[in-house]
Amino acid sequence: MLKRIIDLRVALTLAVTILYCANDFAANNWNVPVDKKTKNSYIKFDAASASQGEAIYNKNCASCHGNPGKGNSLKSLSPVPPDLSSAKTQELTDGELFYILSTGRMIMPSFKNVLSEDERWRVISFIRSSNKSYVQTLSKFDPNKSKLVKINLNFDPATHNIRILAIANEKSGVVALKDAEVALFAIRYFGRLQIGKSTKTDKDGMANFKFSKDLPGDKAGIVELVAKVNDENYGEIESVTKMKVGIPTDKPALNKDRAIWNVLAKAPIWIIVLYSFGVLVFVLVLLYLLNNLRKLKKTGDN
Amino acid sequence: MSDQLKTEKITTDLLRSIRLNKSFLIWMGFLGLAFLICFGAYGLQLKNGMVVTGLGDYVSWGMYISNFVFFVATSLIGMLISAALGLSGQKWAAPLARIAEIIALAFAAVAGLVIVMDMGRPERLLNVIIHGRIQSPIVWDMTVVTVYVLISTLFLYIPLIPDLKICYDRLDKLPPFARNIYKLLSLNWTGSPAQKKLIKQSTRVIAIFIIPVALAIHTVTSWLFANTSRVGWDSTIFGPYFVTGAFVAGSAAVIIAMYFYRKNYGLKDYITDYHFDKMGQLLVLVSLIYLYFTLNEYMVPAYKMKTSEALHLSALFTGIHAGLFWSVQLFGLVLPIILLLFKKMRKPLPMLFIALAVLIGAWFKRYIIVVPTQEHPYLPIQNVPLSFKIYTPTLVETLITIAPFILVLIIITVLSKVIPIISVHETIEQLEENNQKD
Repeated sequence: MLKRIIDLRVALTLAVTILYCANDFAANNWNVPVDKKTKNSYIKFDAASASQGEAIYNKNCASCHGNPGKGNSLKSLSPVPPDLSSAKTQELTDGELFYILSTGRMIMPSFKNVLSEDERWRVISFIRSSNKSYVQTLSKFDPNKSKLVKINLNFDPATHNIRILAIANEKSGVVALKDAEVALFAIRYFGRLQIGKSTKTDKDGMANFKFSKDLPGDKAGIVELVAKVNDENYGEIESVTKMKVGIPTDKPALNKDRAIWNVLAKAPIWIIVLYSFGVLVFVLVLLYLLNNLRKLKKTGDN
Repeated sequence: MSDQLKTEKITTDLLRSIRLNKSFLIWMGFLGLAFLICFGAYGLQLKNGMVVTGLGDYVSWGMYISNFVFFVATSLIGMLISAALGLSGQKWAAPLARIAEIIALAFAAVAGLVIVMDMGRPERLLNVIIHGRIQSPIVWDMTVVTVYVLISTLFLYIPLIPDLKICYDRLDKLPPFARNIYKLLSLNWTGSPAQKKLIKQSTRVIAIFIIPVALAIHTVTSWLFANTSRVGWDSTIFGPYFVTGAFVAGSAAVIIAMYFYRKNYGLKDYITDYHFDKMGQLLVLVSLIYLYFTLNEYMVPAYKMKTSEALHLSALFTGIHAGLFWSVQLFGLVLPIILLLFKKMRKPLPMLFIALAVLIGAWFKRYIIVVPTQEHPYLPIQNVPLSFKIYTPTLVETLITIAPFILVLIIITVLSKVIPIISVHETIEQLEENNQKD
């Protein structure tokens, strides 16, 4: 009996150790595809891009990773988010860092739809800024090429589909962006709501998104949509369009009517009446008493 | 003894305390020194901010707010003894009226300061006036505390006017400036029937008016808690619960004051065993009502044991606050009630100790109401150091909490040094009335 318990303990310890190691292994192994590893930034990593990146970093990354070099990452998470100035992180290529930042994994969230490509490279510029021995290899990609791209959104009320068409106006003529990654978002109060899943354009540069029938829009049912296209040759392009695809919604604002939670000018009548009545009674009593004291003094004079 | 002699004796007896003596100076020196030390601690808080306290994001109302509730509570006794008992014809309470009024005024005036002490940036108190919304209980609280302090001042002052004249006439050994103050404040009192009528009318109006104001001041204080949805505060009986609790604390404070005045001011003929006996009965009565409300306040949620309430209640009944919770109920409420049922216990000395236990219990009772609720918010507390979850007051905070008590003692000491603490003219009138009956 005792032996069995000991065996069980050994087995348990082993299992926990293996799981722990596996966890540790997984934390260090990002399986970055070979072609993504060699991707380079088209933004030059200098003081300017690093300082812009720092602002983005402080907003999105510092809460878990802490400040580089300070060792103040959030220790209660598992795995513990690494200090990004550490040798282990700095050994990674720019492409690997970009891939990790874009896709995320386990507890590391994906920033593909949160930060633009530009912003993501600036964050990496900031991460690199503490590494003195780092030398950047600039990508030959010309970000100005993205200005040639035009994105068109088309809504089909019958099927409730949104069709996205991405084309580039080259000197040689119109070129469809094929096999480009496309994502569609609706702008909400607290950020972007992704519509459907990211997909790829077909040979004509088109992609289809099924749009839900119950998304609230403004008074007229208008929703602000963002189409995001990422193409090998033209980079990342965003286009914002307002379309009548939502349900018309006209709820009165919570601060429109008189209410307990509203500003002083919109206080409920009953509170104003009760409070003023109380204060008025007090003032009257006070005046009565002070007048009595005045009379008292006057009577004494005579 | 003739009436003339009796009147003479009463006047001399009751005015005897108005003089500077060695024990007064030593006592004031001690209070002043203690206050300076505590004020130094407050200086630290002003300089370094609220970080010197044990307060934090979760428990942001600690000893300071417990103290505030306690001070407001104790100040309610003026209304009970001078107004409620006076209006209902309880003559025995008349000699205690001024003591109760002095206690009420001192505690109410300092209660306002206690709130300011809880503010890291006290100059922002003005924001309540500039940006206050009348929907907010804080604004109501500031209004009623101010009103109560003003009304309590008048309630102390107006019946005092004839005595101030007596002080001016009799205390001819005082320096001229002091006598002039008495003269100025006595407002040409001659004792004419017209003046007597004015005093009587005014006193009656205040006595009636102060009852709703006093109820309002402590009900509003209770609403600061009960108007939230928090576990342990979200209660419909918080108003009466606080008011009855206030009478318990206030009666105990009056009993303690009675004991010391009787002993140090040689007032054995005026504050007699009969008064202690009556005050003992009053304390039992208000304590029983308070016990009834306490039972309601814990029994009803404990029977239902909603998930969120259970966490809070188990911390009180069997958890980290259990020791304090049960001690407060036992030594601050149940035992005093049982002991005071015996006539032997309603004598000055035993009552002093019982009243001290009740008063200390009353302070910790407020602590039990204010602090544990904040340790049990609806959203779980995660990823924070232990010190955030469990409130531990610091030394600086404790000194700042003691400061208002010293201030109250200073105010009470000074007031009872410059005015007779038992009404001279009323005692004489009472004597004349009794003689007419005979």
